[in-house]
Amino acid sequence: MTDVAIRVPTESVGFRNQARAWWRGLNPWLRVGIVMVLQLVLFGLLFTVDHALGFAVLVVSTIYWLRRLPDRIRQGATGGFILLMIILAIVANTPWTLVILLAVGAVMSFVPAARRDWVFPAVLLGLAVLYPFYADQMFTMPIFGVWPDVGTGVYMLVFIMMAVGLNIVVGYAGLLDLGYVAFYAMGAYTSAWLMSLQFSHTNFHFGAVGITASLPGIHMSMWLVLAFAGCVAALSGIIIGLPTLRLRGDYLAIVTLGFGEILPQIARNGDSLFGFNLTNGPNGITPLDPPGFGHAISNATGGFLPANYLQCCSRTVNIGFLHIHHQISSFDVFFWTAIVLLLITVFTSLRLQYSRIGRAWIAIREDETAAAAMGIPLMRTKTWAYASGAFFGGIAGAYYGVFRSATFPGDFYFNISVFILCMVILGGMGNVWGVVVGAAFLAYLNQEGLANTGAWLNANIHIAGWRPNFQVPLYASGIYGLIILVVMLFRPEGLIPSRRRAAELHEAETHDEPLYDHEIAGTEPL
Amino acid sequence: MSTNGDYVLVAEQVRKEFGGLVAVNDVDFAVPRGKVISLIGPNGAGKTTFFNMLTGVYKPTSGTVTLLGEDVTGKPPHAITARGIGRTFQNIRLFQNMTALENVLVGMHARMHANLFNSVLRTPKVRREEKEVRERGRELLAFTGLSRKATEVARNLPYGDQRRLEVARALATEPQLLLLDEPTAGMNPQESAEFTAFVARLRDENKLTVLMIEHDMRVVMGVSDRVSVLDYGEKIAEGGPREVQQNERVIEAYLGKAAVEDMKKQGLS
Amino acid sequence: MAADASVPTLSRRVPRPSVIGVLGFAFVGLLGIWLLVNLIKTPADFFDVFLIGITLGCMYALIALGYTLVYGILELINFAHGDVFMLGGMFAITYATGIFNLHPGQGPVTVLIVLGTMALAMLTCGALNATIEFIAYRPLRHAPRLAPLITAIGVSFIIEDVGLAWKGPNYVPAPDVFPHSTAFSIGSVDVQWNKLIVIGLTIPVLLGLTYLIQRTRQGKAMRATAQDKDASAIMGINVNRTISFTFLIAGALAGAAGTIFALWSTTIRFDEGFQLGLIAFTAAVLGGIGNLPGAVLGAILIGCIQAFNEGLNWHAPGSDWTESIVFSILILILVFRPEGLLGEQTPEGG
Repeated sequence: MTDVAIRVPTESVGFRNQARAWWRGLNPWLRVGIVMVLQLVLFGLLFTVDHALGFAVLVVSTIYWLRRLPDRIRQGATGGFILLMIILAIVANTPWTLVILLAVGAVMSFVPAARRDWVFPAVLLGLAVLYPFYADQMFTMPIFGVWPDVGTGVYMLVFIMMAVGLNIVVGYAGLLDLGYVAFYAMGAYTSAWLMSLQFSHTNFHFGAVGITASLPGIHMSMWLVLAFAGCVAALSGIIIGLPTLRLRGDYLAIVTLGFGEILPQIARNGDSLFGFNLTNGPNGITPLDPPGFGHAISNATGGFLPANYLQCCSRTVNIGFLHIHHQISSFDVFFWTAIVLLLITVFTSLRLQYSRIGRAWIAIREDETAAAAMGIPLMRTKTWAYASGAFFGGIAGAYYGVFRSATFPGDFYFNISVFILCMVILGGMGNVWGVVVGAAFLAYLNQEGLANTGAWLNANIHIAGWRPNFQVPLYASGIYGLIILVVMLFRPEGLIPSRRRAAELHEAETHDEPLYDHEIAGTEPL
Repeated sequence: MSTNGDYVLVAEQVRKEFGGLVAVNDVDFAVPRGKVISLIGPNGAGKTTFFNMLTGVYKPTSGTVTLLGEDVTGKPPHAITARGIGRTFQNIRLFQNMTALENVLVGMHARMHANLFNSVLRTPKVRREEKEVRERGRELLAFTGLSRKATEVARNLPYGDQRRLEVARALATEPQLLLLDEPTAGMNPQESAEFTAFVARLRDENKLTVLMIEHDMRVVMGVSDRVSVLDYGEKIAEGGPREVQQNERVIEAYLGKAAVEDMKKQGLS
Repeated sequence: MAADASVPTLSRRVPRPSVIGVLGFAFVGLLGIWLLVNLIKTPADFFDVFLIGITLGCMYALIALGYTLVYGILELINFAHGDVFMLGGMFAITYATGIFNLHPGQGPVTVLIVLGTMALAMLTCGALNATIEFIAYRPLRHAPRLAPLITAIGVSFIIEDVGLAWKGPNYVPAPDVFPHSTAFSIGSVDVQWNKLIVIGLTIPVLLGLTYLIQRTRQGKAMRATAQDKDASAIMGINVNRTISFTFLIAGALAGAAGTIFALWSTTIRFDEGFQLGLIAFTAAVLGGIGNLPGAVLGAILIGCIQAFNEGLNWHAPGSDWTESIVFSILILILVFRPEGLLGEQTPEGG
């Protein structure tokens, strides 16, 4: 006899609430005790593995408790903690960059909530802009090791840009796009076509920098190319979107996946499309022209804006007492340009979020039928989301191509689309700052973090004589898959959630629990 | 039937078939300006299907729908809303995780002009527009008695307030014709009475034309200028509330033949 | 009077003016002509390639059925299915070589070993698939619809790397026990044993599945739940268990497909599953997602399309373009005829 499930289902969701309730029911002092003991145990265990890791646990634990002190003594205690760190820096060689970081963090924790919205990003921006000057002074992180260099920083910024772009599509409008890599590829190839020898049968120069005027091929100023690449990507988004955005969510995902597979294949086979060499096939297009502002503008700004990025720079910044001796390199200029591009992307994203069309996207995401009934043209509005996301994907691709001075079809494959999606999910769908943080972290992991983690694991773990030999970067995809799985199961609103999304995703938990052990029918259109 | 400005909406021979099932069977229907029209009928009579054809959610199998003199048959919902119909839904379809004010702001989408580009640039025109729509949104919330709930998330509002918010949102589309689909479902008698008065105000003060699907006869009788009755997809009666109430076919549709016999016996026809 | 006698639909579908219809017919016509020319020019090759197509189609059918079963019951595209198929192949190789010590030249015992391996692989993959459902999809039953879809992608990547960790980044060799010799000839066309074996292994599985779905109580429960979960629950069907069972069966099918594929192509690599899975998914969509005979029909068609593309001599685009062609078909089907060839139209357009 099949058992009819007239019982209250206990899903993992309910389990979480039960656990939370049990924890909160304990005596507060007992809770303090338990946490402290756990922290000490953790410290002890990790200290034996790696001293730096142990100290990291100490620092994090201290911050944990500082935040929970009553306001009156919090300021004093925090000040005392910073003072202690300074003393340690002088006496015990604690890296001063760590001390400064903690001090900045401490100050920021006292910023009132209302101001946080712009203070935090402003401070982060300042730290980022100055990064090339102190990058080599940065303390070594436990596990992850050395902080990324400026070149990796460019890579990270490019991917953050793409994540913010995808966030417009997935986070704002709720359209699952599994083919974002197609826009990345379109942008990259656009810059390749317009700044290289690829089309040598013609000769068109406009604003190019650092090349002779007689060079065959198309050579245009990077700034024009970036804007153009964005438009090309946006246009392809519109073309792809027109027949497909009417489809239901999961079908749309599959179709975008399809495009995300087709375009790279065309790139790979593109050296002989009906006899025409469009993409130079597997060998890719390289080199690309150097970017720059040209001599006129460079001289006008007294050399602040470099004429040619690849021939930059001669300026050195020396700040003796901070041990900063840094000659500004072309990598630095690429880095700062990438920051500017990212700022534009984030700015646009925020403006869109709080506008008429941003509200329309949320409405569509919540209830398409009702949205249409309120006068929102579904197809057009979705297409705008898709095109906007594509626009920034294209610019990111174009810029990265110029940075590496190359575009290969091997750079574009399905896993990248999922990788960027993972950034959006981890960071917090719909929340730009969350996505920035999530993207920065994952991009770093992909480029250096995983390799460093692997090295650390292999060096520091010995259990009864066995030393591991993990090739961690090899399993990058699996790790991102695991991140997606864990986040979707336990914190689908991401690390830094948008309040609204958190509510949406946990909607099911606050409904009356169903009597029957089955799925509540979704809101189908009427 | 004339199709000029006298009538806000004219439906001619509108028919809807789902495969072999005829849900709406060649119905003629006209909504005169400035009146409250009620559409009643037993469950499954095709009322909501009919509504859906008027608002573009369904495309009629045949027939025409004319709104304010313009043929809107088969046009998509957002186009019909832009041309002057606002509606509420039988099962509340608010944007659950948006605040009350945001819900109303969405309703104003069709009346705003900000596009993607000037939104990013936040031109003075856009800024002014945002300010104006917010003011108008608050006005609408106040009009429907929700001014203190403007920042409340829709999901957390009590049921009655949710219904009112749906109306506020529909009004935000600045309609010439307001379609209400069972607006008093789930309301207690006092709330229904308040709502009846509210609909009367919409007609008398705001000069709105209202078409309602309703089951609560007190509401129907209380405010309707005209009642139309649908049964099995056909219009079986139309006229003043009293008239329709005593119409044999209507009674038969609701209560069955036996009831009609009873009534005749008791000399009530 | 705007008498539009087109299909009554809720949402706006792509309007079908005769232009697209004409283009469609023209395209299919050109395709037919291309096939005809190839047939006339090299008939033996044509039929050979056609047989390969059928063979591929059989394997795709097993995978496609798994997709379509799960989609029918949960409306979930189980991205991880292709990777379960890949692991199935790896399990089969491990069982065959590790437990049974399968190698060429063992004579008739080979048949028993292959069947045994397949059975074990089916069991393992069935259990694996049901576990995946329990861990990753069940907690999200009430979540917004795209949540389990995203999770499925995550699971797919995890399984892919499990395969990588287990067997390494290179091709894993499988015992080459399917004879390549000719079984019989029709005219100048040779039919090899290995093709027959693939078809011969697939058919019983399909028959067994049909029996299960049509004749058993569990099958009935599956069909009912796929139609209407609420009603099924009210009728006393344990929906959770039925869904688990569906995943079990789908996994078993993937295991069978994996075994057959591993032994047919004699190698398997950790990243092949996803691509082949997507091709099989296209087959399922082509036939009509949720429709079992449709999945088989679609698989045969896709198998033939792939074989024709890669094998024919006269103006065939070649293996470089297989993916693009298959995905183009997928996109076209979803845009113009989402219910596939055999599926039923629903108001939502699929």
